[in-house]
Amino acid sequence: MNARILEADVGVVGAGPGGMAAARRLAAAGLQVVVLDEGQRAGGQIFRQLPVGASGHDRIAEPPSHEHGHRLIEHFERAGMDRRHGASVWDARPGRLWFEQGGESWLLRCQKIVLAPGAYDRVVPFPGWTLPGVMTAGALQVMVRGFGVVPGRRALVVGSGPLLLPTVASLVSAGVQVVAALEASSRWRALRALPAVIGNGARRREALWYAKKLLLAGVRLRWGWTVFGCEGDGRVQRAVIGKVDRAGRPRRDTARAIDVDVVGAGFGLVPSVELGLHLGCASRHDAARGGHHLVVDDAQRTSVAGVFAAGEICGIGGAEVAMAEGELAAAAVLHELRGAPIDAALRRAVAAERRAADAMLAAFAPMPGLHELASPDTIVCRCEDVTAQRARAAAALHGSSLRAVKMGCRAGMGPCQARICGPSLQAIANARPDEVMDRPIVQVPLKVVRSETIVDAPRD
Amino acid sequence: MTETVDLVVIGGGIIGCSVVQHAAQLLPPSTRILLLERGPVAGATSGSCMGHLMVTPDTPQDYAFTRTSLDLWGELQQQEGGFDHNPTGALYLADADEDLELLPTLLEQFRANGATAEVLDGRQLREVEPGLAEDLPGGLYYPGDGVVLPMLACGAMLRVAQRANPNVVVRPGCAVIGFERDGDRITGVRSERGTIRCENVVNATGVWAPDLAELAGQARLPIYPRAGNLAITGHHVSPIRTQLLEVSYLRFAHGAATVDPTRTDDDVGGHAVNMQPQTNGGCLIGSTRQFRGMDKTINHALLRRSLSRAQRYVPAVATAPIVRTWVGLRPYAIDKHPLIGPWPQLRGLWIAAGHEGLGISLAPITGRLLAQQLAGLAPAIDHTPYLPARFAR
Ligand SMILES: Cc1cc2nc3c(=O)[nH]c(=O)nc-3n(C[C@H](O)[C@H](O)[C@H](O)COP(=O)(O)OP(=O)(O)OC[C@H]3O[C@@H](n4cnc5c(N)ncnc54)[C@H](O)[C@@H]3O)c2cc1C
Ligand SMILES: Cc1cc2nc3c(=O)[nH]c(=O)nc-3n(C[C@H](O)[C@H](O)[C@H](O)COP(=O)(O)OP(=O)(O)OC[C@H]3O[C@@H](n4cnc5c(N)ncnc54)[C@H](O)[C@@H]3O)c2cc1C
Repeated sequence: MNARILEADVGVVGAGPGGMAAARRLAAAGLQVVVLDEGQRAGGQIFRQLPVGASGHDRIAEPPSHEHGHRLIEHFERAGMDRRHGASVWDARPGRLWFEQGGESWLLRCQKIVLAPGAYDRVVPFPGWTLPGVMTAGALQVMVRGFGVVPGRRALVVGSGPLLLPTVASLVSAGVQVVAALEASSRWRALRALPAVIGNGARRREALWYAKKLLLAGVRLRWGWTVFGCEGDGRVQRAVIGKVDRAGRPRRDTARAIDVDVVGAGFGLVPSVELGLHLGCASRHDAARGGHHLVVDDAQRTSVAGVFAAGEICGIGGAEVAMAEGELAAAAVLHELRGAPIDAALRRAVAAERRAADAMLAAFAPMPGLHELASPDTIVCRCEDVTAQRARAAAALHGSSLRAVKMGCRAGMGPCQARICGPSLQAIANARPDEVMDRPIVQVPLKVVRSETIVDAPRD
Repeated sequence: MTETVDLVVIGGGIIGCSVVQHAAQLLPPSTRILLLERGPVAGATSGSCMGHLMVTPDTPQDYAFTRTSLDLWGELQQQEGGFDHNPTGALYLADADEDLELLPTLLEQFRANGATAEVLDGRQLREVEPGLAEDLPGGLYYPGDGVVLPMLACGAMLRVAQRANPNVVVRPGCAVIGFERDGDRITGVRSERGTIRCENVVNATGVWAPDLAELAGQARLPIYPRAGNLAITGHHVSPIRTQLLEVSYLRFAHGAATVDPTRTDDDVGGHAVNMQPQTNGGCLIGSTRQFRGMDKTINHALLRRSLSRAQRYVPAVATAPIVRTWVGLRPYAIDKHPLIGPWPQLRGLWIAAGHEGLGISLAPITGRLLAQQLAGLAPAIDHTPYLPARFAR
């Protein structure tokens, strides 16, 4: 077996806006950079591109800010560096990243690591959420934008937070009728976000662009509404929708049924912190930023020497934050490796973007009452087929923590490792109206890999 | 207000849960039984282990001990179920020629106890387990072993207990922090949530049993954490349906010479691979043995060894997706026998701990023997080899 070992100055995990911004700047400064990303093409979640050679319909209409993103992708793809797609990082130590690519086991040795692994969809289970045709807003975006698939004719979009708008926009431009778009948060809560939107030029332009897009398509965003359940024979045919109170609890008396054949549900995002926690980086819990996120200083340095972080892993904030943080992380790496001064403007940009994002997301902080949407026989853990009722029985006997629920019914122990079911299991465990998550216990492999990848892992 | 109960069981692992179950079934239903567990029920070793229900035929005593316990597992399945009980049987696999020499001895031990077992050649092995490599020289099949999912079994035991006795209370998230005594007898325990008066207390805290003994003013018990690395595959990929283990396991596991728990290198005591089918279609792969205190970080070298041995026996494992790995700590008693019974130097203090790598198999008989002693009933089997008095000064 020939050792598959790479050497570089910097290893970047993730080719979304955060990772691309960092990698491009580092490569432009002449450093040797290796970028590792699970996806088949650059862009991460937001600037997802059609696979090479795919024939999907022409580009789905995108807000003005995406021009910026597509320029970033162009620059990133032209810059001189080793970009590895389909590469899953499954183990790490400061200066070392182990990854699987094409079924082969690799090691990257580098001086500095920049983590930009993004986020996961936050899933809120409701009756019928596992029916074919019902998917997360993220998965729907992947289908429409990533694969050019038209998923149905009459769509319902539900959830909470700024991601609903791009989901509606993609569906509309793919020719799908959006029958209803329901935001669980109240209009009053949302008003709190207004100053942040108005005060930030890019966000203001973006909001107006979406407002126009929805208006032209005749889609009205309803505040304080959500989905109570989905029904259908073999796939979704109907959805029951209704109003929720300020905590997100369903007001059953407002329920009504509508006919739909595709449902996208996006209740926010959860930072993908596993890699950072495994490296020993300090983290903090902030419900409005999606839960546990890495703590970084004013130059994107984590608490572990030589490990930097940018984007959603530092707390949900969106693409503008991710790009600004990627640039700053690169500047900080260049400072440590080359002694180059860090441009104060980069710090200001990060601070401004984070301020705007935090103010906006405060209006969409997770609503614990939404977990009451699940009925006793609703599946909460898809990997192990565990219902809400069984998870509650487990909490009653084994204890009130995420780990106790896992031990009592095996929920959260399958391939998703509680990335999908974590928030709802946690709500069951806490049995009180808050969204405090237990810090995940992280173990290798950080991504599912083959047994032989672990056996053949190059020694450092 | 001080709470008063009749029996406190400390530790919500498989052993504590079994003690609660059998005490609830054998003592009068008016008996107030309280289980105190620091973390979640099944949150420590019993939630980080494999679930091989294993009969060890080394001696008639060993056979009676394990076989009786497995029969009690069958009864629990009848009474309650819900813990993925699966009567898979076990295949002891040979790789090298010196392994083959172990098979006739093992066969003879099973037969001497009146049990059926068969020595198989490579072709016969693959009839039992088609996923095995084609060049294996042979093995032994014992149909009487099985598999459970231990953490779910803890819940089943507690549900049976609560049905048998309405005065059973389970309190997770509540650690014991001290003991109350009056001269040479126990009068209560101090917990994080207040003092509990009681005359009988069972220390079923596995690798922490020495700490609890010390907390009660007694000598530390000779129980040491012995780490094992495990890995689990994704669902519906298990290439096996039988419990598999390397026969070389017998060289160090049970009857064989004791090992020195102060040696922390990788090579103390063997690392035999053990593979277990899960009812969700996954495959659990273990397991290594190492002394290094309470450290639960993965030992990569040993994990690689387990996985590569697993690939050697079942080639399809090589491409199976690994979802997670972790470490569990076996409570290794220095003379390789668990401690079950009263502690002679403090009246009212009982011990049920130190089951090393067989605690799941032995949980029912342990609970039964301890409850029988508490109730003054005749023991199901000879219990004297397990009396903790052997370590009293
Ligand atoms: C499903 C989904 C859809 C979204 N759609 C939109 C949208 O339409 N509009 C919008 O404004 N925002 C959207 N977002 C929010 C989006 O995450 C951020 O705005 C932005 O993309 C964050 O950038 P990032 O660089 O932090 O992470 P990402 O863009 O998520 O990039 C992270 C990359 O890292 C890779 N990765 C993660 N872990 C590993 C690993 N261990 N090994 C190798 N690679 C790894 C991932 O595959 C991914 O390509 C979406 C988020 C999700 C989860
Ligand atoms: C890798 C591995 C594989 C194994 N495979 C098998 C197998 O296939 N078959 C088999 O039969 N056995 C197997 N075992 C052995 C088996 O897991 C153990 O023997 C058994 O789980 C021990 O159970 P226990 O209840 O004594 O300990 P534990 O499960 O650790 O329970 C002790 C409990 O006491 C609690 N506690 C500690 N201090 C306090 C306090 N102060 N107050 C309150 N509570 C406290 C702890 O939190 C813990 O929950 C394996 C073990 C390992 C590690």
